Amino acid sequence: MSPLEKRAWLGLLSMGLPYCVYFGVLIALPHWQATFLERIGFLAAVSLVHAAAYVTGLLVMRRQEAGESVLQDERDQAIDSRATRRAYFMMLASMLLVGVIMPFESSGWALANTGLLCVVLTEAVRCLLVAAGYRWPRHAV
Amino acid sequence: MPSESMRNEVRLLRFLAQDMTQAELGKRVGLTRQTIAAIEQGRYSPSLDVAFRIAHVFGKRIDEIFHWQPGDDPH
Repeated sequence: MSPLEKRAWLGLLSMGLPYCVYFGVLIALPHWQATFLERIGFLAAVSLVHAAAYVTGLLVMRRQEAGESVLQDERDQAIDSRATRRAYFMMLASMLLVGVIMPFESSGWALANTGLLCVVLTEAVRCLLVAAGYRWPRHAV
Repeated sequence: MPSESMRNEVRLLRFLAQDMTQAELGKRVGLTRQTIAAIEQGRYSPSLDVAFRIAHVFGKRIDEIFHWQPGDDPH
């Protein structure tokens, strides 16, 4: 498996579980009466779990890849740029929703959490497209 | 799709070149071992630049290594 593909799966898995818990809690408790600090603390805890899982995964990978080239070549760059290009349009559309349309109806945490959900989904889509890029036949750019 | 219209002799040429490894060929043309494997399996069509470099490594013309056949789908 290519180093970039491994990192895409790592990004997806390390981000998927903590944010599933975060958004799961928010969906399960729509009228959660928490203070600002409690909400920020919850978000910070989820972000820390994400960061810790990603960094740990990266360290394990670097150890496994010792001596092996992890440089990207033209195929990696083509797959990465395709995935990033598609994710960019998703981010653009979601930011239009969150930043242009939603403020007329929502505010506060609803806006912030929707924005966060869009960022998480965009990154998940990018990681999935990178991973899928190694499975589908491709031409060079 | 590249695998339908592009074929190549990279695997055979590696074998004929004292069984050169994918990693060694990759190092000489600036690709990773995984990309050389993808080219051999028809899952990736390299850029013209890389195709010329592969041909140069084996001392062949580019059309002796890479073969293109028109398919039904022009795209």
